[in-house]
Amino acid sequence: MNPNVALVSINNLTVRYGAFTALDDFSCQIEEGCTGLLGPNGAGKTTLLKTLLGFITPTAGGGNVLGLDLYNGNKEIRQKIGLMPEQDCHIPGLSAVGFVAYAGELAGMPADQALRRAHEVLEYCGLGEARYRNVETYSTGMKQRIKLAQAMIHGPKLLLLDEPTNGLDPKGREEMLDLIKDISHNKGVNVLISSHLLPDIERVCDRVVVVLRGKLVSQGTIRDLKKIEGQPLDVDLRETNEAFVTKIKANGGYAAPTTYTTVRVQIAGTREHAMNTILQTAKDSRAQVRGVKLAERSLEEAFLSAVQA
Amino acid sequence: MSNSPIADLSYRHYDGPLSGVGKRWWSIAKMTMQVATKRRGFWGWSLFSAWWFFILLAVFWFADNVLGNLGGFQQGANAFLQQIKWKDQFIHGFSYSQMILLVVNLMIGVGSIANDNRANALLVYLSKPCSRFDYVFGKWLGVFILISLVSFVPMMVFWLYGYMSFQPYGFWKDAPWLFLRLALVSVCSGALHASLGLAVSSLFNQGRLAGATYAGIYFMSYIFTQVMNGFNSASTFQRTPTPAIVRQLFYGSIDGMQIGLAKIIVGTDGSPLFPGMGPNGGRRGGRPEIDMGQFIIGAPNAAWIVPVFVLLVVGGFAVAYSRIKAVEVVG
Repeated sequence: MNPNVALVSINNLTVRYGAFTALDDFSCQIEEGCTGLLGPNGAGKTTLLKTLLGFITPTAGGGNVLGLDLYNGNKEIRQKIGLMPEQDCHIPGLSAVGFVAYAGELAGMPADQALRRAHEVLEYCGLGEARYRNVETYSTGMKQRIKLAQAMIHGPKLLLLDEPTNGLDPKGREEMLDLIKDISHNKGVNVLISSHLLPDIERVCDRVVVVLRGKLVSQGTIRDLKKIEGQPLDVDLRETNEAFVTKIKANGGYAAPTTYTTVRVQIAGTREHAMNTILQTAKDSRAQVRGVKLAERSLEEAFLSAVQA
Repeated sequence: MSNSPIADLSYRHYDGPLSGVGKRWWSIAKMTMQVATKRRGFWGWSLFSAWWFFILLAVFWFADNVLGNLGGFQQGANAFLQQIKWKDQFIHGFSYSQMILLVVNLMIGVGSIANDNRANALLVYLSKPCSRFDYVFGKWLGVFILISLVSFVPMMVFWLYGYMSFQPYGFWKDAPWLFLRLALVSVCSGALHASLGLAVSSLFNQGRLAGATYAGIYFMSYIFTQVMNGFNSASTFQRTPTPAIVRQLFYGSIDGMQIGLAKIIVGTDGSPLFPGMGPNGGRRGGRPEIDMGQFIIGAPNAAWIVPVFVLLVVGGFAVAYSRIKAVEVVG
């Protein structure tokens, strides 16, 4: 997988519902891999998904999905994309295997191949034992899995997952995230996840796109997003040591305990200089350093900071 | 070794063929028919819709093979068969199947979009390379084909029996190429039921509510036409002419419209069920006996019924189409 290849390229996209502007001069690139689409309610995430699927004609701007123009390739785009919707959905009156095979036929697969692959995909999604049951009798967790199965039956290049862990118990959530991670990281399927659950995004995604009031707020890898300006270091001490903090400050650095034994330290100059200063100060203050790592924010902090900015 | 019946559980890319993005409506039509034909009720009611043709088969077989071979009855049987208006028998059979075609439509058509709405199935359809037109037309086509066949097959069976057995009694001469006209009658029936059923279905999120509404519309319009029939019968009894508007409004229901179209297509005004039900020169209450044929309301005027039929078919489809909203798919 090449993370620098743009699967989706959106340029100055504006989408309006009457007087309301849902996406305002929105531009972004979604690259190969697993990308999280973050934003508060009403930010424009759903509108973006609708536009990618070709359900909404943009007021201005444009873009392409998998090399197909947003304006002209609606059906072709949907043939290359799999959508796992947020809501429960199924075709009434069909067994799981019938439903998934039918989804394959709708995507353009020959009936015999769709049926064969429906068995494989259901097995992969953990529904092998229940594949002949009517979907209406499925539990919430099973319904989530079958939505994923019907989305990937035709081997899409890009999977759009809308709140994939909605309504799942902790075990089901773990299993679903494992499945998504396996698909996106081991099977080479590109995934775009729209979710409010930051831990889910953090666990499976490599990159995020943050949307707010129809505008792009931030995009990039999660690692970059979590970086703190000035690149401070988190120093893990064996036990709390006031003298260490005081001496760092006296040396012109910044130091503040973040937990009982961890001190966030920022010292001007090179990384090497900072490390030398930390170790010398620890020696002087008789503090035992157990570890030093680049400090980073949680994704939640990064998200809130991006949104509040 | 895995415990699963499929040993290789890893995900593999699909590298098989994918057809172009057109003609998804055919997949939807096929599935609509598959789901319908898996129901035992569909076959039961479909068979039952041919009940009058079974009776006709039995009566004509008896007249031809039993009475026709009994000494003393042969002449009577011949006279009976000679008097039969063959094309009217199809109108009778078609008329008597109307109520059952309603039931079949309630089973396979009227609930289809409503049940899809309930199950959010549109999320599945429209996220695939299917357009709103593919979806509605596929559903329409599936219902249309099945109802047309349920209507046509019994008529065709009876036509084949008549063609093989009653040529000497004017079966072909009475209505040449009748089976083509019967096919058109069935097609009209299928189109009307499919369009109206799907239009009503698209307005609801519950198949049962859609079914109840469709049945309500059917029976309300049926009652209206029976009131018109009552006016006609009363006028006939009083030996006064029935107003022309009453004779036209008699066809102002879902089944009336189909029967009216059938009469126009087949080219008949209809007749009593069997010969011998007409006047026999007798008198009743001092007045000449009424010809039973006078109670039959003739074919409607094609100038209004054909445009109304087309309007209902196209309008019903348009209503269903307009109710399918792709933008509601996500969120």
